[in-house]
Amino acid sequence: MKLILLVLSLLSLLACTHVAPYERGKLAHPTMNDSVAAGPAAEHVYAVHEGAFGGGSVAESGCGCN
Amino acid sequence: MRSLSAHALLAILMVASSAIADDDDNPADQSVARKDRGEQLAAERTASTKTQLVDTSTKRASLEIATYADDDHVTVFTPSIAGSIENVLDGASLKGRYIVDVVSAASADVVSTASPRWTEVRNAGSLEATYKPKTFGITLAGSLSSEPDYFSFGLGSEMTLDLNEKNTTLSAGFGYGHDDVGRCGAENSPANTGPSCTSFGVFSRPVNRSTFNLGILQLLGSATTGALIMDIGLENGDQSKPYRYVPMFTADVAAQAPLGASYTWVTQNRLPERPLEQTPLSKHRLAFTGRLAHRFDGSTVKLEERLYGDTWALFASTTDARWIFDLGKRVAIWPHARFHAQTAVSFWKRAYVSNSSIAGWDLPEFRTGDRELGPLWTATGGGGLFVYVGGGNDPQSARLTLQIDGIHTSFLDDLYLTSRNGIISSLTFEVEL
Repeated sequence: MKLILLVLSLLSLLACTHVAPYERGKLAHPTMNDSVAAGPAAEHVYAVHEGAFGGGSVAESGCGCN
Repeated sequence: MRSLSAHALLAILMVASSAIADDDDNPADQSVARKDRGEQLAAERTASTKTQLVDTSTKRASLEIATYADDDHVTVFTPSIAGSIENVLDGASLKGRYIVDVVSAASADVVSTASPRWTEVRNAGSLEATYKPKTFGITLAGSLSSEPDYFSFGLGSEMTLDLNEKNTTLSAGFGYGHDDVGRCGAENSPANTGPSCTSFGVFSRPVNRSTFNLGILQLLGSATTGALIMDIGLENGDQSKPYRYVPMFTADVAAQAPLGASYTWVTQNRLPERPLEQTPLSKHRLAFTGRLAHRFDGSTVKLEERLYGDTWALFASTTDARWIFDLGKRVAIWPHARFHAQTAVSFWKRAYVSNSSIAGWDLPEFRTGDRELGPLWTATGGGGLFVYVGGGNDPQSARLTLQIDGIHTSFLDDLYLTSRNGIISSLTFEVEL
């Protein structure tokens, strides 16, 4: 819980920075979005190999790994 | 390996050809330019609304071929296709994906039940629609997954709200899923073969899943974004594997069971009874995921950390990092590293003890042989490469991506296996139509 509060506090502090729309050239770079990430097959392998979940979509179907 | 070699050769050829065709357009400038073009199209549309309709939507399609193989005799071949249509000006988008998993396995678990190698095909699809005309958006999503002994569907909705000139985006989502866990084949017969499957109407175990998430995406500077997501999962139903039999031992023998004990050792030392796996009938899960992305001059670094815990007392940490380097205007490469470590569930035992007598069995209430519920760590390392292969005026309109990762898992308190080494590769072609 302390770690969560710490992360939230850090985010809150950094959030004091206001980035105007005309300053977002770097943020618009294609590699800043999710296009460079694990594909669906790799995500499925991670889901089967790791006993954890989170960070994905809310409408995922089950792993089917019986 | 032949497939991997082909992938690598294809990637090298693409790099060479793209280097020749390199141009001076900056990808970020192109993104901005595309937005300007969108605004221009909008103006044109307004001017000619009564006479002519202009299609300002962006249509994309992609094809991915992925393979996975490990030294536990499991191979997976996964082709998938995806498509999307998006209208940035109206804030509407529709995305769909269809994926097929062809799994072939003869792992230690299967061998221990005296079953031969089996092959199984899973078909899965998903559809997602988003409408976000201004600062508030809503997404509806659905997914379906089917294989001979497992059927699953999921429905979900997520809302997003942009605040402070899009410096902050809040999100909240809810999802519901239902699984029917079935069974194919009988003990000591080929499992997972279609004709021998028991119909879901005769045998199936329902598992219901509800998920909630809350998230915040924050601009942390002109080149940095941060995100924090909380996921809650509530699962109810019997998730025990209907194929997994758990060997039982006397207390004396169990205390001496060696790490990674061989199938022969287990057979010689176990008790006659061999009950099916049994896990608790409900599980509550909680995860916090943090993401950070920063754009340097010429490279982008992306970090992700997930902390996870559940009511089965499994706690885990997963760290994922990618550092993407631009090589010219059309090519980028990146190293990728991922590390996952987890504790065991509370009822985990390397060797379970049965105190059965003539009066009957006296088995532990919960027992499992699922290695992913035991203590383990996994290290993944590899990298990727993408090449923009679109025409001269719009190179980003098509992209080829190759990713290869090696995965090493160390099982810290298991029978049969102490480690597993695998390799996963994927080749993706995306095009703007």
